[in-house]
Amino acid sequence: MLKAIGKLYRNTLFRLSLLGAVLFVVSLFVSLGYVYFATISSELRTVEKTLQAEAAEFQETYNSTGFAGVQRAVIQRSAGFEGRYLLETQNWFVGNLGSAEMERDDYVPLSLIEGEPNKPFVPMQFSYKFEDGELEDLQDRRISALSGFLVNSEGEAVAGLIIGRDVEDIMRTADRVKNAIITSSLIALILGLISSIYVSRRFTRRIDGFNRLATDVRAGQLDRRAPRNYSEDELDLLAEHLNAMLDHIHRLMKAMRYAGDSIAHDLRSPLTRLRTRLESTASEVKNEAASDALWSAAEDADELLGTFDKVLRIARLEAGEQREMLQELDPKAVLDDMAEFYEPACEDAKLGFQADIAAGHLILADRGLLSQAVSNLVENAIKYTPAGGQVKIELYRNKDNRVVIAVTDDGPGIPNAERERVKERFVRLDKSRTKPGSGLGLAMVDAIATLHEADFVLADGMTSDNGTGLSVQIIFPRRRHLKPSLKDKS
Amino acid sequence: MRILVVEDDEVAADYVRKGLMEAGHVVDLAPDGDLGLEMARAADYDAMILDRMLPKLNGLELLESLREAGDKTPVLILSALGEVDQKVEGLRAGGDDYLAKPYAFTELLARVEAIGRRSDPTAAVTKLKVGTLEMDLLARTVRRDDQNILLQPREFRLLECLMRNAGQVVTRTMLLEKVWDYHFDPQTNVIDVHISRLRGKIDKDFETPMLHTVRGAGYRLQV
Repeated sequence: MLKAIGKLYRNTLFRLSLLGAVLFVVSLFVSLGYVYFATISSELRTVEKTLQAEAAEFQETYNSTGFAGVQRAVIQRSAGFEGRYLLETQNWFVGNLGSAEMERDDYVPLSLIEGEPNKPFVPMQFSYKFEDGELEDLQDRRISALSGFLVNSEGEAVAGLIIGRDVEDIMRTADRVKNAIITSSLIALILGLISSIYVSRRFTRRIDGFNRLATDVRAGQLDRRAPRNYSEDELDLLAEHLNAMLDHIHRLMKAMRYAGDSIAHDLRSPLTRLRTRLESTASEVKNEAASDALWSAAEDADELLGTFDKVLRIARLEAGEQREMLQELDPKAVLDDMAEFYEPACEDAKLGFQADIAAGHLILADRGLLSQAVSNLVENAIKYTPAGGQVKIELYRNKDNRVVIAVTDDGPGIPNAERERVKERFVRLDKSRTKPGSGLGLAMVDAIATLHEADFVLADGMTSDNGTGLSVQIIFPRRRHLKPSLKDKS
Repeated sequence: MRILVVEDDEVAADYVRKGLMEAGHVVDLAPDGDLGLEMARAADYDAMILDRMLPKLNGLELLESLREAGDKTPVLILSALGEVDQKVEGLRAGGDDYLAKPYAFTELLARVEAIGRRSDPTAAVTKLKVGTLEMDLLARTVRRDDQNILLQPREFRLLECLMRNAGQVVTRTMLLEKVWDYHFDPQTNVIDVHISRLRGKIDKDFETPMLHTVRGAGYRLQV
């Protein structure tokens, strides 16, 4: 579950659309908040202003008509629905805000009144439970009120006064609006999340299509193309361009292969005739010296053709078509066969031979190509290691958890500076020019390693009197995406 | 043997014919695919050498229509296309062997003679015998002059291949393909070393050697 969320979060489009959704919810929240303040709050402010005016009115009434006038006004106004009043002195109170508590003996007069004499009335918010018949249920009604003291001409407090308005209806509306704002923001957030997932899934599916295409093409399926929906949106256009590019690559590769194959055919046929002529003449001539010369000429023709074949073979390997031949296999069997094949030849060349081949390390490979690569390496080792030396074939898993095939000797080795160069075609080091060979052996191993997505590394081998030795390693990739797609083949 | 050669290159065809006739075979030539198919249907050949790239009807198409008609004549495909996957293609189409150009004539001769004999009704042999050398394929034992000879599994297969082609030249490449299933060219004398080990076991303690080296070609096992 956490993994799935992590994967979703790594998706660029999901992050972008989620950010969009969050920004939308925030702006929704802010604008609804503004609506709230513009309606509910201003209403409450209007109430407060009315109350201020009323408070001033009561002081006015007291100044002109004294206690009796105020008392009368409070009683009159208390009879209405809207206003809530309490006029209180040390000895008595009137108004419709009185409560049972005030009737009790231990009630402290004026304790409900806030504010100070000769100061503006202070706002109060409280709930009040009404028990009179006007309201059917005994609800707590919220009251917005002002509280303060009436003063005489000397400025002394003569009575406490609370003037209030029942704002329960406004407050209920306010609560409903608040709830609505929160709920709608949450709904928008959830919808945003869902649409982000949907959008990114949809988009990712199309991007995944491109990724699969690239993998398949790299695996040698050159005829695969990106699916198009002809909507001409940017992904569709990308698919169009990608397909045009693949068509072009495919054409070039076909042209190259055609050129290669027809060179092979057109050149090899006359060369074959040449070789056949040399061979049949060699077996016919009676003169032994002439016959020997013709046999050597035939062998030279073979070498020429062999080199030519190898170049074509490397070119085909580099084109990567044979990647489709790769299968999961345990290279132990391949290397055991190799060891058995070359052990007598090593013995014949007076070389010590060791094989240290571990089992159970599966890789994606082709048996034939693997054999060819290892054969080239072992033959190099046999060729360049002086008699009395050592040749070793190994198969193991290194500390990076990658499967390694290594052929190691204790011969003269290859200087560090030359190690990359010798992988190129036709490169031969001066020391080896006297030995037979075409300079294509390591180039072919390099091409085979690349086809297997393996690294091809030359390192120091076993040190001896002859030099540092050479260890040639083919380091296979960790097993992952590299799966041959065999579904198109039966 | 009566052999049909389907090859459009006149010079190459002529050399193949000349060589095969010198080796004592009867040879017919067909210069294109259509004629080749017609001739193959009309007469009963012991073996057929088929070029892959032919005018009119290419070699693989010819082979497929031949096999569809139930004709089991052994066919050796000859082609400039010599990669392993191209070989597999040729063998799947019904070829019995595949030889890439260029080839040594001895290689071609050895292979044609090998597939030609394969059509003999000896499908289920369990014992091979060449002179006093006997091989039991079920018990995996080898005897010469009633003396047991102990062979490694690979040496056994090497000897089996030579015995099945007794009296004929078996080339190094044929051994490489049939005994080890390798399709590349070793640059060292690795096959010779294996042969000399085998020779040490089957010939060394006996008066007359049976395993002979044929110069420029390969090996022959004979009495």
